[in-house]
Amino acid sequence: MQFAMRPATEADLDEIFAIEHASFGSTAWPKQMMATELSPSPTRNYFVALDNDKIVGYAGIGVVDGNHADVMTIAVSAGQRGKGLGRALMNRIIAVAAKRGAREMFLEVRADNPVAQALYASLGFAQIDLRRAYYQPEGIDAVIMRADLSAKVAERAQQAVHEPLVLGIESSCDETGVGIVRGSTLLANVIASSMDAHARFGGVVPEIAARAHLEALQPTLREALRTAGVSLSEIDAIAVTNGPGLAGALMVGVGAAKALAVATGKPIYAVNHLVGHVGVDVLERGEVVTPTIALLVSGGHTSLLLVRDLVSDVELLGETIDDAAGEAFDKVARLLGLGYPGGPVIDQAAADGNAKAIRFPRGLTLPKDMEKHRYDFSFSGLKTAVARWVEVAEAKGEDFSVADVAASFREAVVDVLVSKAVAACLDNNVPRLLLGGGVVANRRLREAAAERCEAAGIELRIPALSLCTDNGAMIAALGAQLIMAGHEPSTLDFAADSTLSVTNIQTS
Amino acid sequence: MNALLAIDTTTGTSVAIVAGDRVLAEITVDDRMGHSENIGSSLAEVLKRADVRASDLTAVVAGRGPAPFTGLRVGIAAAVAFAEGIGRPLFGVVSHDAMALAAFDAGVQATAEHPLLITTDARRSEVYFTLYSGLDSHGIPMRMTEPAVAKPADLEALLQERGITAQITDVAMSAAALGRVAQAQLLVGLVSDDVTALYLRAPDAVEPKARGRIGKAVS
Repeated sequence: MQFAMRPATEADLDEIFAIEHASFGSTAWPKQMMATELSPSPTRNYFVALDNDKIVGYAGIGVVDGNHADVMTIAVSAGQRGKGLGRALMNRIIAVAAKRGAREMFLEVRADNPVAQALYASLGFAQIDLRRAYYQPEGIDAVIMRADLSAKVAERAQQAVHEPLVLGIESSCDETGVGIVRGSTLLANVIASSMDAHARFGGVVPEIAARAHLEALQPTLREALRTAGVSLSEIDAIAVTNGPGLAGALMVGVGAAKALAVATGKPIYAVNHLVGHVGVDVLERGEVVTPTIALLVSGGHTSLLLVRDLVSDVELLGETIDDAAGEAFDKVARLLGLGYPGGPVIDQAAADGNAKAIRFPRGLTLPKDMEKHRYDFSFSGLKTAVARWVEVAEAKGEDFSVADVAASFREAVVDVLVSKAVAACLDNNVPRLLLGGGVVANRRLREAAAERCEAAGIELRIPALSLCTDNGAMIAALGAQLIMAGHEPSTLDFAADSTLSVTNIQTS
Repeated sequence: MNALLAIDTTTGTSVAIVAGDRVLAEITVDDRMGHSENIGSSLAEVLKRADVRASDLTAVVAGRGPAPFTGLRVGIAAAVAFAEGIGRPLFGVVSHDAMALAAFDAGVQATAEHPLLITTDARRSEVYFTLYSGLDSHGIPMRMTEPAVAKPADLEALLQERGITAQITDVAMSAAALGRVAQAQLLVGLVSDDVTALYLRAPDAVEPKARGRIGKAVS
């Protein structure tokens, strides 16, 4: 979430007071008291968060005796809650308190506000006292919380405030990616692909991919640093894909990232490849607007996600129960003698074909399947249907159009993908769809998604193709978002997990 | 101080810091599966035990194998990244050389007629093997054959055919020995910057039957 933030001034009084009044009602500070708080003072620091120049939140601290800081107040306007703004404001004032030499920080919070308490707890605050009937006239108790502003807590807050410079390493399939971002800004996205080495096998060969990662590692890393114009010593953290993906391939990136973290003394974040595909959108529009449905389609995955919060709440709605969509393209391309990779060659072959010439089956769309597999996909039957159709045509000695077969096949894949994604949006009342994964390169998929989303009133996001295919920038971007949300680094002991669940956004 | 970090994942995960002929610290995790899990903490711990900062290291050495694929790559990848991380040179040493040095240290005497045979598990009922005739004047193990892979029976036949009675030992792989080989090679300028993995096998992959274009050409 990207909001501008700046120190508050007396000129902000009216806007701040409006939020104060709306948020705290009868327990709000009198306007005069707020004015005093905002006046220049050696003991006070107030900040405001802005959305297009409009104040949407504020927070302030008092540092009286130098050693300890008090949270004077914090509030976010009602329409802007749940976007990480409170956390961002807290991080800012924690960082300032630490910078001013405070060793500990105190706050009081209404006992009937568990959301705020959870936020403070995640930032290092713990309850030390309870004041009965503190908030009058309702008689609500106040929970007194304290945080030890250790170097670790302060550094985390500091990193969250200053957009962290993160290097991301991706090696889950056949692309070795190293990306570098500062906060939500892309600085480098270097990719070395072993695609050509797999061509004669008609699909990704795991051992070939893993060998290629090892060879590409050093040049890709160097090129990314060169492109970004930064040195490793400036990097704030390393992020790495630890799954899901090909085990042997993942291990190359994981081994390298851990060694890089130890060598440079930087924290490491083990992040989920699939969530990385969603997180990449921050690089183009500064944030991932949530909730959103995400459809991730590649040679290795076909997943439909409900993302309520990028760094804390991702749900898997469905996925392929057999082949990934990209795999189906590869297999059918081979069957039609078109080459590899299947996506582009089928797109090309289908250009002049009639998509309605042959009605190939749409997997898992029959009523009985929809009960159990509403958001799941299956492409194995479709591939077999194409093979059968070609066999029959050849046996009959009929002339047939490869263009029509390719176009009809592609239409069947795209139809299922888009129908289920749109259904997921409508069923969950989420008016947003984000596409990710290499198959997004498919022109027909983008077209169909655009048409059907528009018809259904769904906002469609398609990141640039270089960010849709597997890449290190998306891993760095997700790592940066985790840091800015105040998440702790992973330990050095995490495993490469080829079947990592999408709900596991960061492995500790 | 000329402290060098050695990393080898040909069997378990072994990391060591070696200064000259002295081993400052060594950590070996004898787990033949968990290389990518173990490598990070092992590196952090070996620095701590040696009381050396990463930036104080002057070079990084990778054990190149031979070894089965997956584990071997973790160590080489870690060595590559670590060297980048500290901006120091990266060297490669054949892992069997380190085992040979350890065997000679343990008192094995070898000659061209009675060479030292180092073997390691290559899985699939095969072994990786290298023959050594002794140490040269710089203390570097002398290879008589380059590392290779064979079925034990075929290796036996090969030795018989060449009239060789090989000596075998049961030394374990140690990154400390790997680092000492590199130090000895560095002294006489014989160290190599080649860190290519010695897989000695092609990837398992079967090319599908070629299939020509079918049907009518795309109009």
